[in-house]
Amino acid sequence: MTMIQDEDLRLLRDSVGTLLERAGGLGRARRVRDSDKSWDAGIWQELAGAGVLGAAAPEEAGGLGMGLTAAGVVAEEIGRVIAPEPVVPTIGLAIGLMQRLCPQDPALEAVIAGEAMLAVAWQERCATGLSDVIECRFDGTTLTGSKDWVVGASGADRILVVAEGTQGPVLVRVATDATGISMQARPQSDVSALWGISFAATPAEVLAEGAQVTDALANAVADTTALAAAELVGLSGAAMALTLEYIKTREQFDKPIGSFQVIQHRAVDMHIMQEVSQAAVREALAAMDHAETASERMRQASRAKARACRAAQMITREAIQLHGAVGYTDEFDVGLLLNRALVLSAWLGDAAYHRRRWLDAKETEEAAQ
Amino acid sequence: MTDWNAMSDEEFRTEVRAFFEAEYPEELRHLSHRPKFAEIKHWHVKLHAKGWVAPAWPAEFGGMGLEAAKLLIFYEEQQRFGVNRGRDMGIQMVGPLIIKFGTQAQKDYWLPRILSCEDIWCQGYSEPGAGSDLANLRTSAVIDGDDFVINGQKIWTTMAHDATHIFMLVRTDADAPRKQQGISFVLADMDQPGVDVRTITTLAAETEFCEVFFDDARTPRANLVGEINKGWSMAKALLSFERIFIGSPSLAQNALGQLETFARGRGAFDDPVFRDRYTELALDVEDHAALYGRFADQLKRGETLGADVSMLKIWVTETYQRITELMIEVAGPDGGSIGPLQVGNIGVDVLASFYKARPATIYGGSNEIQRNILSKAVLGL
Repeated sequence: MTMIQDEDLRLLRDSVGTLLERAGGLGRARRVRDSDKSWDAGIWQELAGAGVLGAAAPEEAGGLGMGLTAAGVVAEEIGRVIAPEPVVPTIGLAIGLMQRLCPQDPALEAVIAGEAMLAVAWQERCATGLSDVIECRFDGTTLTGSKDWVVGASGADRILVVAEGTQGPVLVRVATDATGISMQARPQSDVSALWGISFAATPAEVLAEGAQVTDALANAVADTTALAAAELVGLSGAAMALTLEYIKTREQFDKPIGSFQVIQHRAVDMHIMQEVSQAAVREALAAMDHAETASERMRQASRAKARACRAAQMITREAIQLHGAVGYTDEFDVGLLLNRALVLSAWLGDAAYHRRRWLDAKETEEAAQ
Repeated sequence: MTDWNAMSDEEFRTEVRAFFEAEYPEELRHLSHRPKFAEIKHWHVKLHAKGWVAPAWPAEFGGMGLEAAKLLIFYEEQQRFGVNRGRDMGIQMVGPLIIKFGTQAQKDYWLPRILSCEDIWCQGYSEPGAGSDLANLRTSAVIDGDDFVINGQKIWTTMAHDATHIFMLVRTDADAPRKQQGISFVLADMDQPGVDVRTITTLAAETEFCEVFFDDARTPRANLVGEINKGWSMAKALLSFERIFIGSPSLAQNALGQLETFARGRGAFDDPVFRDRYTELALDVEDHAALYGRFADQLKRGETLGADVSMLKIWVTETYQRITELMIEVAGPDGGSIGPLQVGNIGVDVLASFYKARPATIYGGSNEIQRNILSKAVLGL
């Protein structure tokens, strides 16, 4: 990485961080949570205006063309204040799919500019949980079937759906108020929602079809996975900072509890986990920007998510313990971070899932050599 | 004389690698024990002839004069190929001490003898009552005419039974207000009536550590290095590079490679429980390397490393231990067996690896001490 790029990334980090701090920082997440909105439309516009949504998108489409490394910087800052806006799903999935499959579609520029919001529906549920196969059917004009774990469906203008067409996989677009759609929210621990959506002969418009859809989806999901990892890095950094501040000020036995060695060593272990996680996730994102094969990109994404989930869970849980009883109250912000970490860890696969994928990918790559 | 620092990193790496691959004796690769000098003398002779004995020393003293970035590459290649460090206390500790704080006469006399291994050095720091609390050391050196008279005991002195000289921290002022203040650095000859060396047998049934007893042993006052009573700050100054070296990924990487070979041979990769535990460790190693890279980059930019570098040592040594523990589990009923276990035509000494990993969390500042350092200097607790 050249010095100029390092400097660009620093500027991006500062501007996104300042924007989010000015908007209210961590406290804003609580205010939005306690309101009847899912996110703040004004902040969404500001973020788009700052170029945040197009950080990784090509310049031709109105993006900054700075790669996943830059999108990772954005995601870390989003995680640090657990901003409720669907920034990572928009960058990774909506923009990620469109820039690969239909870069000429005017909707891409509209999304990057914050003028339109698209949700992406691709996963499906079976009796045991996540299904391996896509059963949602597209017959050429209408869509029938069910999708699950969709982020941001309620506020979206339209929904991109990966379905099985008559000639293989397709990417289609449907309006959120189209006929035959029904949406059901699954409330999450952070009071956001993941959506189950079913379609019954719902009119849909084709954006792309064929094997390229499968490839683009795999890559977009890998990007989003790694960006979710970066979001977790920001989140666990915030939990670490809150905890450090607390153990320096909370006094028992006439001393700050941070003066006790047992607390110090636990704080050090949290800090080391955070530093390893941040270094690993940033390295993985940079490796994905330069990866030569899809398998390597997926392996790096899995590495990032496996580490970030583990770190965020360890750090947020330790943070609750070191806060003591007040950590178990809704009043303290550390609980917001724990709740968000649960959702982000489960989304797109937890640590165990990604360790499995990482080893499978490594073995496949080695066998191919 | 070659200016190694003028080469690109890749050129330099290729050059170092080629030399090790061509010249390093096969039977000495990845030794699991610390060799006596006689066992590796033929390699030292080659290294000396090449002028590569002291990569970190300035060229004017017979070293390679490598800057931090090149030095890291040198050590990485050394470890990758399993090149034994040899009896390098003189190179790693005494030489830099004399170069930094010694007189011209000390430089002229001792440095060439270190390079040629005419003198072989051991390090006399720890004592029975001065381990993690090293400043508590009591071995005394009292001026008597032109000599110091030394009395006391050192312990955990690595390979003292195969050393000709000892460099040691001794107490020269018992009345100093702080215990760090009355400590000096002296050099002494091991071959004298007042010095008695006894080996300590380790859990691994090896005898690399010793106790060294001093009973009116003598060393000339000319063997004081630096100012009297200033030894503590000199010892701390010597540790700066060691602190990243001790946190390098190589020990854990090598152990992970061994675990993989062994586990493949034993069919453990068919077991989903093993697969998950292996992957967790593999990622612990890979992700540590990312953090290590961040510190190495700092060195390459010419920055000094802060106390936060202690993170590397804690993480890598604990990972290293878990890897060898998993190897013991994969061995199943062979988990307590002495000697190599055959997988295909390769022998893996699971028990030796397990033992070798134990002291890693103790030496070089125990991991508990490292956590104290991080807590105070980095977290501000």
